[in-house]
Amino acid sequence: MPPISETEEWSDRVREVLTRYPEPLLRLVAGRLIKPRLNQPIDELIEKSVSTLGNPPIVDRRIRELPPASRKAIALIGLSRQPRWKVGHLITALSALGHPEGFAPIEALLEAGLICPELSPHLTFPGEFAAWYGQAGTLTAMVFAHPGVASRARGEDLELPDLSDPEHETSHSFRSADGLEWPLRLAAVWQQVHAAPVRLTLASTLFKKDQSRLQVDEVLASPLADQLAPAPDGGILALYWARAAQLLEDADGELRASDFPTAWNTGLVAVLTQLVAALPHVETWDPLAGYAPSDNGLSPFPSASLLALLLCRKAAVVSPAAIATWLWEHHPSWAGTLPTSATPDRGAEWVHNFLLGLAFPLGLIESDGEYVRLSALGKHLLAGGPEPTAPPAFPQTLLVQPNAEVLAYRQGLTPALIGMLTRFARWKGIGPACTLELTPEQTYRGLESGLTLPMMMQTLNRHGTRPVPASVEDLLQRWSNKRERITVFSSAVLVEFPTPADLDAAVNRGVVSLRLTDRVGMTADGTEPGLSQLRLLANRDYESKPQRCVSVAEDGITLIVDAAQSDLLLEAEIGRFAEPAPYESPGVRRFRLSPPFLRRALEQGLTLGDIDMWFQERSGGPLSATGRLFLLGPKATAPTAENLLVVRLPSAELADGLMQWPDTRRLISERLGPTTLSIEPEALGPLKEVLAEVHVNLETAAQPGEILANNP
Amino acid sequence: MTNPTARLAAKLHRRVCLVLTEDAVLAEELLARKKLASEVAGRLSERVLLIRPNRLDSVLDELKKMGHTPQVVARSPG
Repeated sequence: MPPISETEEWSDRVREVLTRYPEPLLRLVAGRLIKPRLNQPIDELIEKSVSTLGNPPIVDRRIRELPPASRKAIALIGLSRQPRWKVGHLITALSALGHPEGFAPIEALLEAGLICPELSPHLTFPGEFAAWYGQAGTLTAMVFAHPGVASRARGEDLELPDLSDPEHETSHSFRSADGLEWPLRLAAVWQQVHAAPVRLTLASTLFKKDQSRLQVDEVLASPLADQLAPAPDGGILALYWARAAQLLEDADGELRASDFPTAWNTGLVAVLTQLVAALPHVETWDPLAGYAPSDNGLSPFPSASLLALLLCRKAAVVSPAAIATWLWEHHPSWAGTLPTSATPDRGAEWVHNFLLGLAFPLGLIESDGEYVRLSALGKHLLAGGPEPTAPPAFPQTLLVQPNAEVLAYRQGLTPALIGMLTRFARWKGIGPACTLELTPEQTYRGLESGLTLPMMMQTLNRHGTRPVPASVEDLLQRWSNKRERITVFSSAVLVEFPTPADLDAAVNRGVVSLRLTDRVGMTADGTEPGLSQLRLLANRDYESKPQRCVSVAEDGITLIVDAAQSDLLLEAEIGRFAEPAPYESPGVRRFRLSPPFLRRALEQGLTLGDIDMWFQERSGGPLSATGRLFLLGPKATAPTAENLLVVRLPSAELADGLMQWPDTRRLISERLGPTTLSIEPEALGPLKEVLAEVHVNLETAAQPGEILANNP
Repeated sequence: MTNPTARLAAKLHRRVCLVLTEDAVLAEELLARKKLASEVAGRLSERVLLIRPNRLDSVLDELKKMGHTPQVVARSPG
């Protein structure tokens, strides 16, 4: 039986789908699944339907009531160990099994409530399953089966032939692989993606650069350790397989490394089961062609590969050629996708490469290099056999060398150890004995993934045949320390106190532990501190728009910060061109514009426009005139000081008259203000004479250099 | 005199991105890198650089290009 947590997760999925069915369809599905006697409320029907899927006797009965093609479809899902299948692949496989009825067997399963459609969150369910199939797309529509149903259907007879070749049954010695080859390669590809995510095209295919890299990578493109057949483009297979096995995840158009699934800590059988289950979702790989993306049709790989494995079930010993012949004659699309060079042997090389290049290293089959038969694991997964016993453990399997290389002997490797090593040591070679390398980059990635230096050392020592050399321990220590030099907090909560004394008190009480400034503190991990000891004055979100929180005093120099409205950006930004003024009263922060600070801001690349914009955002107006004097004064033409005769008039009107009358205008140097004008000393006499003509008496004032013009 | 049991007045600044260096010299070294300096909103103290909102990735890229291996403390709720 599947694990309970997994079952609950699938039950939730079923519940979600049933909730989206229109009532008539829900009553139809529930009617067939639970056969209610009364007209029960919808919610009750949904809950009873979900719980029925975990009731083996009823599920067995419902499966028996299905038409043969539907029984085979649910059996295929169960045997594949993959709950999610593309409808197209199921239809193809059913056709190969002699049921070319198209969507009808799948529709019968949907109506029986034994499988569910995967519904797009963006589309409304159209009301019936055939319409949904059209809406979701015949190439992309997917269904899923609850594990409680899939596991009960594995025993259904698929009516596959026995392709045994009795002549070879006893005359050959068969061997099996350790099953670690593909887990190792998937771990290696995980490591590469962890270091540099792989960008995908819109069609989920690789860009040329990544494709080439994976095709020539020294680890991923190397021959399999116990190679009976090649796995062309094995690096690309590993990438897409790792994605299907949830070691990698799609995010923002690229593949990124996820956490290792929990199966990796459970044991080899659990991991291999997961990898087998992931195969139906590997659609861009072909045992002959290698990387084979297809954007205009269904890949035959998921259906043909599962059928090839299932054809080994009845046979004691079978030749890949016999399986190929069966596929050639029964599979509706497989033969058509083979290259012409594969026609003479009816695709035998395809099957040979799949079984011996992929299934053999996975530990599913045993082989003598020519014929194959199911291994104990294969019998367990595909023929209901008992779970194979775990191989004897050899915990001491690593040898850390003084040059920071690590030799890993395969017989002691486990998925958990592979997963752990993958996080902090770079895979350098996968073979009978694997090699890894301890590097600063990989140590850093290990630390970033949550490991600590003691955890790494413990792994190397616990599984080492000898203690880690002191020089290597020093290296790891040094690399680890280097990481401590810079800490980046991506989203910290900072606590600002009104005074340094308050920050001291907060540190003493353990509210915060790091002092960032004299008034700003933070918890050690940047999380929100306990609020029980704080009285919040304000809450600022650093990623939201800056607020207006500065007022400029009349002197144009003093900037007064509204403490309640201000944010940290302000503190940091304002320091670029103003210096803090001494505290005058609690809660009031003042800064002073100073020429050296403003000059430094310009030297650091700020422009007057930038500063004006900052003042506009924070105070509502541009930089003050005083500030402009500080900034622009030094660059302007030097001001001059000179002696002038100033003519002061009793009113602006008279000053206007002097400026307008040509006889006086030519004697005036400059108008200084509404009632003041300046003249050259030698113009004084002529001006007096001209003004006397209009009876205005120009007098010399008490102040030197100032002249008063009065009416007589 | 502050009441030792009174709740402390404080202002919370959430979702702040910052770089904390081991010493002031290292902070200076980072600020001397033009591309990195342009992502820094300001220097809170000798060892603390405040990063502009949404510039974390480019800061990390630049730090790695400089050969540093920064410890990244991931996003916290709230």
